[in-house]
Amino acid sequence: MWKKKKSQPVHETEYMGEDLIKLVDMVKVYDTGTIKVLGLHRVNLTIKRGEFVAIMGQSGSGKSTLMNVLGCLDRPTMGHYYLDGIDTANLEPDELSTVRNRKIGFVFQSFNLISRTSALKNVELPMTYAHVNQKAREQRAKELLERVGLGTRYEHMPNELSGGQRQRVAIARALANQPPLILADEPTGNLDTASSVEIMELFSQLHKEGATVVVVTHEEDIAAFTERIIRFRDGKLVSDTKNKPQIQTEEEAVTMQKEGSHAD
Amino acid sequence: MLIENMSMAFHAIRANKMRSFLTMLGIIIGIGAVIAIAAVGDSMRNLFTDAFKDVGLNRAAVMVSWEVDDFRMSDQFTRAEMDRIKDIFSDRIEYIDSNASNKVEAVNGRRKVSYQFQGVDYNYTDVQPLDIVYGRFLNESDVKGAANHVVLEDKGAIKLFGTADSVGRTFRMTLNKITQEYKVVGVYHKDMSPMVAMMLGNGQSQSGFIPDTVLTRSNDTFQAVNLYSRNGTNMRQLTVDLKQYVAKLKGRPESEIMAMSAVDQMGTMDAQLGTMSAAVGGIAAISLLVGGIGIMNIMMVSVTERTREIGIRKALGARTKDIMIQFLTESALMSACGGIIGVILGISLVKIGGTLLKMTVVVNPAVIVLAVGFSALVGIFFGLYPASKAANADPIEALRFE
Ligand SMILES: Nc1ncnc2c1ncn2[C@@H]1O[C@H](COP(=O)(O)OP(=O)(O)OP(=O)(O)O)[C@@H](O)[C@H]1O
Ligand SMILES: [Mg+2]
Repeated sequence: MWKKKKSQPVHETEYMGEDLIKLVDMVKVYDTGTIKVLGLHRVNLTIKRGEFVAIMGQSGSGKSTLMNVLGCLDRPTMGHYYLDGIDTANLEPDELSTVRNRKIGFVFQSFNLISRTSALKNVELPMTYAHVNQKAREQRAKELLERVGLGTRYEHMPNELSGGQRQRVAIARALANQPPLILADEPTGNLDTASSVEIMELFSQLHKEGATVVVVTHEEDIAAFTERIIRFRDGKLVSDTKNKPQIQTEEEAVTMQKEGSHAD
Repeated sequence: MLIENMSMAFHAIRANKMRSFLTMLGIIIGIGAVIAIAAVGDSMRNLFTDAFKDVGLNRAAVMVSWEVDDFRMSDQFTRAEMDRIKDIFSDRIEYIDSNASNKVEAVNGRRKVSYQFQGVDYNYTDVQPLDIVYGRFLNESDVKGAANHVVLEDKGAIKLFGTADSVGRTFRMTLNKITQEYKVVGVYHKDMSPMVAMMLGNGQSQSGFIPDTVLTRSNDTFQAVNLYSRNGTNMRQLTVDLKQYVAKLKGRPESEIMAMSAVDQMGTMDAQLGTMSAAVGGIAAISLLVGGIGIMNIMMVSVTERTREIGIRKALGARTKDIMIQFLTESALMSACGGIIGVILGISLVKIGGTLLKMTVVVNPAVIVLAVGFSALVGIFFGLYPASKAANADPIEALRFE
């Protein structure tokens, strides 16, 4: 019901093709005034609906640059980026806002919750900008917080939560408008191993339920949770391999989760 | 969304209570001053209007100026001259008298009461209606026949006779060095605000009316002619014409004749009030300007401090308009709060002042609404630049902000 309340031009066409993300000869150049820095060079990449992908590479290899473009926070300098059938190259800033609001759920390394604002209000925020009414918003935010295991912490402020809990609030927030794409830039970068495993478990679960998840990470352990690993070097895509997810049995998942909650 | 914005703005203001309060100070002082001036102005105007209603708005007077160096006997008016003026200007003058009044002691047995008697013509009540509660007002034969009849105010009658209904009662007093008996033919009642009574300055003695033919002798001369115009007369023109006529009559230049009307004087007082209001209003305007700049400054600080928050909101789908409205709501609310505190401050000051001066204070509700509304507008105006700075921030830059 919070999907497509008003028919805005950006999602007038219902695209249900297999490719959720399609990058064609995408180039991103940073113009710093004096010199031009090449962020990404001719990237061609397709991610299908329901995939669970890790983006890896050394520092400065262009992972965040890619995430910014994929997240419609930035536009490619050259080439095309189709998200859910929409060519984002020609969108105005406000149209990009609407695309982000409906199509993308962000999870950041530094959580990026709004301070002095309760977990519940944080989760409600994307729905507020989608003009979902107060009652529906609150109900869904509660469901989502319950789902990420924070059913008793609706009214907690971000600074009253642990890092792992904050990241779970952020994930609940990312799911608020049921976006087709979840983008996470080093979501476990600020977490200990136990919390990291918990968060990755949550992503695995979302993936199993059909979500498309793209995670940027430095760590092979984290990448191991995914089904496809794409590596970058100096702004270029250098490898794209299938991966067999590390955790497969329910039992293992449960033990991992228990360890996680001890360390919390 | 509006409620959402209001509560966000409210939280933001409360999060920095001291800072918000200091920011509001300029607005508080500005609005407080505006409210106080408006209330003082309104109260003064009410007071003047009351006072002039007592005196009569269509009243005028003409005389040879007090400031002439060579005062002559002929500068005084004779009764004949007064009658001539009334004849000549009969289309515009309804009533004329010498404005004579005399303070005398009325004696009834052992009771002695000081009275200020005003000498009037029989048609006085046509121009200054009186609330006659007992008996009647002086009539034509009282005046023409110079009868020793008087009309008393009820409270004076009580003092002299122990009852307000004293029609037909008599007392003795000394007028023009002759002690005679006088008869009460009527009693009137008058409501007067204490402030007006104080201004008119006859708090001590009682008042009453007596035929001017009794109060003055037929060969007396008078310093001024007191008159009431007919309804719809152009008072300014009448005073000009009177001045011209009297100048010719007395053989003096027009510059040595004084002709004034109540409307003129009220206009002068209004103008003085206006000047005062304008001066203090100017100070209030500067205060509001400074207050507005203060709000702009603090909003700039707030926008910078919350750059990251702005980035997060944009990433989650906030459009330019959403961020704009969020910050404008905040600055408008802050300014309006200042306005409300200012209104309370202004009213309290005026009420305290009014109590000390024993003056009734009028606070116009429209002024309050206007003041709060205007302060919100100040907030919106000075919030525009910071809000647009926030609204147009680049989400990536904003998210990267430490
Ligand atoms: N705003 C910018 N202006 C100029 N150059 C930039 C900007 N953002 C990134 N770059 C450059 O683009 C390149 C890719 O940076 P990016 O942030 O994408 O790397 P990354 O892979 O995310 O690194 P890390 O693992 O350290 O986060 C780097 O050389 C960086 O210096
Ligand atoms: Mg990065």
